[in-house]
Amino acid sequence: MSGVYISHPFCNQKCTFCNFASDVLPAAWEPRYVAELEAEIAAHKWEWTPDTVYFGGGTPNRLDPDALRRLLDLVPGGPWREVTLEAAPGNITPARARAWRTAGITRVSLGVQSFDAQELRHTGRKHTAEVVAREIEVLRDAGLGNINIDLIAGLAYQAADSWRRSLEHCARIAPPHVSVYILEVDEDSRLGREILVQGARYGAAHMPSGDEAADFYECAVDFLADIGIRRYEISNFARPGCESLHNLKYWRLEPYVGFGVDAHSFDGRMRTQNTDSVEDYLARSSRGEPLWIEQAERAANEHLWVGLRLMEGVPREPRLDRFIPLGLLEPVGANVRLTRRGVLVSNEVFAQLL
Amino acid sequence: MDPAFIRNFSIIAHIDHGKSTLADRLLEYTGALSEREMMAQVLDSMDLERERGITIKAHAVRLDYKADDGNQYQLNLIDTPGHVDFSYEVSRSLQACEGALLVVDASQGVEAQTLANTYLALHHNLEIVPVINKIDLPSADPDRIREQIETVIGLDASGAVLASAKNGIGVREILESVVHLVPPPKGDPEAPLRALIFDSWFDPYRGVIILLRVVDGRIRMGQKIRLWSNGRAYEVEGLGYQSPKPVPLDELSAGEAGYMHANIKTVSDAQVGDTITDDRKPAATPLPGFEQIKAMVFAGLYPVESHEHGMLREALEKLRLNDSALSFEPENSVALGFGFRCGFLGLLHMEIVQERLEREFNIDLITTAPGVRYKVTLRGGEVVEVDNPTRFPNPADIETIEEPIIEATVITREEYLGEILKLLEEKRGTQKKFEYIGTGRVLLAYELPLNEIVLDFYDRLKSASRGYASLDYHLAGHRVSPMVKLDVLVAGDPVDALSMIVHREFAYDRGKVLIERLRKLIPRQMFEVALQAAIGSKVIARETIPAIRKNVLAKCYGGDITRKRKLLEKQKEGKRRMKRVGSVEIPQEAFLAVLQVGGSDSED
Repeated sequence: MSGVYISHPFCNQKCTFCNFASDVLPAAWEPRYVAELEAEIAAHKWEWTPDTVYFGGGTPNRLDPDALRRLLDLVPGGPWREVTLEAAPGNITPARARAWRTAGITRVSLGVQSFDAQELRHTGRKHTAEVVAREIEVLRDAGLGNINIDLIAGLAYQAADSWRRSLEHCARIAPPHVSVYILEVDEDSRLGREILVQGARYGAAHMPSGDEAADFYECAVDFLADIGIRRYEISNFARPGCESLHNLKYWRLEPYVGFGVDAHSFDGRMRTQNTDSVEDYLARSSRGEPLWIEQAERAANEHLWVGLRLMEGVPREPRLDRFIPLGLLEPVGANVRLTRRGVLVSNEVFAQLL
Repeated sequence: MDPAFIRNFSIIAHIDHGKSTLADRLLEYTGALSEREMMAQVLDSMDLERERGITIKAHAVRLDYKADDGNQYQLNLIDTPGHVDFSYEVSRSLQACEGALLVVDASQGVEAQTLANTYLALHHNLEIVPVINKIDLPSADPDRIREQIETVIGLDASGAVLASAKNGIGVREILESVVHLVPPPKGDPEAPLRALIFDSWFDPYRGVIILLRVVDGRIRMGQKIRLWSNGRAYEVEGLGYQSPKPVPLDELSAGEAGYMHANIKTVSDAQVGDTITDDRKPAATPLPGFEQIKAMVFAGLYPVESHEHGMLREALEKLRLNDSALSFEPENSVALGFGFRCGFLGLLHMEIVQERLEREFNIDLITTAPGVRYKVTLRGGEVVEVDNPTRFPNPADIETIEEPIIEATVITREEYLGEILKLLEEKRGTQKKFEYIGTGRVLLAYELPLNEIVLDFYDRLKSASRGYASLDYHLAGHRVSPMVKLDVLVAGDPVDALSMIVHREFAYDRGKVLIERLRKLIPRQMFEVALQAAIGSKVIARETIPAIRKNVLAKCYGGDITRKRKLLEKQKEGKRRMKRVGSVEIPQEAFLAVLQVGGSDSED
């Protein structure tokens, strides 16, 4: 089965660690962008009938519920098994939540990142732990209980105790799905540039070390397992049966089609990327030009270095055996998977499998 | 030309005291170059020379000057290299002169380099004409400088010319002083030819161009000449003087300076200091003072990209055409692959070669720590010379090791004395002289092992004195010292390119500092890596690089697998550029770490 990804790169504020195409963009562009997005989806020739839809961003909860519905109306195959909306906490009202549900949204992924006020402040986010707790109730009341909470390990000012408190908040909320990302400081982000010049803004002078971030991550793995939320992919954790159906497609090399700025598509053979600038997207749309900027055949060993991100592993092959005595891979049934240590140094394995 | 109307002189000055500017002014004043043709610092013709404000090659420019006495004079300005690495060339250039302008900055005073070259000039019986330059600067204090010249050098400076080369003040007075104070050359134009080579370089069209001073006799176009040191004969194909543009002539006679080419293929056949004589009617004795130039500092040069090894060889061969002091032979390192063991006159010479290889030939280089050449007497009595740590004999076979010693002169201000004395002691120096030379300045003479100078001495001296110290040195023999070979082991494997020869007493500290630096430079690997410094089988310092804890891409953005692949490929490429020793990947910077462990690691 295939998935659909719809990108909405507009944000209220740019997070200090963000290097994505999403940004605070001129408000006048947003309605034009949505109109062109509708046109892009409408013009698509569907090879498959999708069964999952994912609104990513950016901040797609800025989309009007009517716009959400119009976009979904252009996607064949509804009702779908899973329709996820990424949302930034704050301003999620009962009316909005009900409207999302009515529009067809079945799952909400909340960009919480942290429950610690000091850590949040330095990311540029405006919400608080209380807002998150309240809005989760609002979502549940509206029938949107299938919730993911994003957490980032390695934020400025993060320490073992503040991280543990964030995990405890998470436990109280008891979401079916949690994502834990280790912060990758990118030099294209404000934070990254600040760290490069050894400045102090955005908490750049108070970054935990890489080893600490690794400790936080492993702490999360154990903590979440204890409350029944198990890791099924390097960054994805869920109660059994609550895994993200859409995200699994990425790791299982199933096809998906992406619409909008910086959206990625995979048809089983070719990987295609849309332009990553809203301005360029609008310009190309108005001239009727193709929206993609890069296309390449899938890499030969993708099923290994992508598939091994899943804890279920990949079918055992002879070329993977050398990682077993090194303690990086381990057999599990007919499959092999990354060991606990192997997960944290997975790039070392993947780079050798390119 | 009647020698009575010839004056040969050079200019002695510290860097920045205005030598090149003064030379330009003299050229301009005598009409050798029109103002329009003047480009700042005409004589420093190589890009590197101009950029660094130093002269590497000598020049000889003829100036036609009509003096106040109404006579027309031929003044030959023989410009010399201005750095301690090239002191042999300096001595040859001075030998070609009868006089020298001693240019001293009117505020800064005498510096070590000036002092050393002045002594050299006095040794060659040159008449010294003191010139106090930059007198128009607010800080100028000519009386103080005059006194300093008298007390430090022992020269009568009462008649010193006050000048500002920059603003053309005192130029005529300088030229008049040259005419009246510098004696005319003494040679006999009718005697058999003897001419001194004081510089040579390779020209792709004409072969080696020689700068020479005719001491006795005449040299003519078409003449069959002979080089004294190798006995080879050549026919003169080109002859003339520089104005600074080349002006061809049929003959140069005793007392004159100029250029000559004779289809000589390499500069090593026409070495600085050698004597040119007539092949048919040779002179009875050569001119004094010829020495084979010997490299003093040695280092391994390796291409970063191993496939550029052939390019590096060709580039070195090309440089050697023009630089007989550069030596190289193939060297093979387990860690760095194929490279060359190169010999240099000194650190500046080494830097110039490195820079030219990178800039003119586009080769990225890894340079191993520079070292010196030791005389090792083996138990059997055999004496071997070792300039490469990897060829250091087994300690059990060594009877004694002698290391090269230099005599260094440092001139500095009193307020930096404490730091500088500490540095000189730390570098195993022995004090020979300590002299106050007036107005808060001190002259120090020390015997130091050359090995202590080649690592970081210049930089340390500079920072200890905030730039207010000048240094000059010359080789002063060898001394028996307890030197040991310090090895570095990475994960148990010795890394040959990191070995160095150090004094036994320093081995512990240097090993420790080096290992600490390496720990910061070598990235964490998949397993714990032990770093050890060892003398023979005895480990004297140890550090551990912990295994990598984290190298994971955790972000997932809308199925962007391509980005993940690019990041992984970038990591893989980064590893490819590292040098693999055993199972450990070592980045190039690690090999440079050795360069910075000469002393304390105070900057950490």
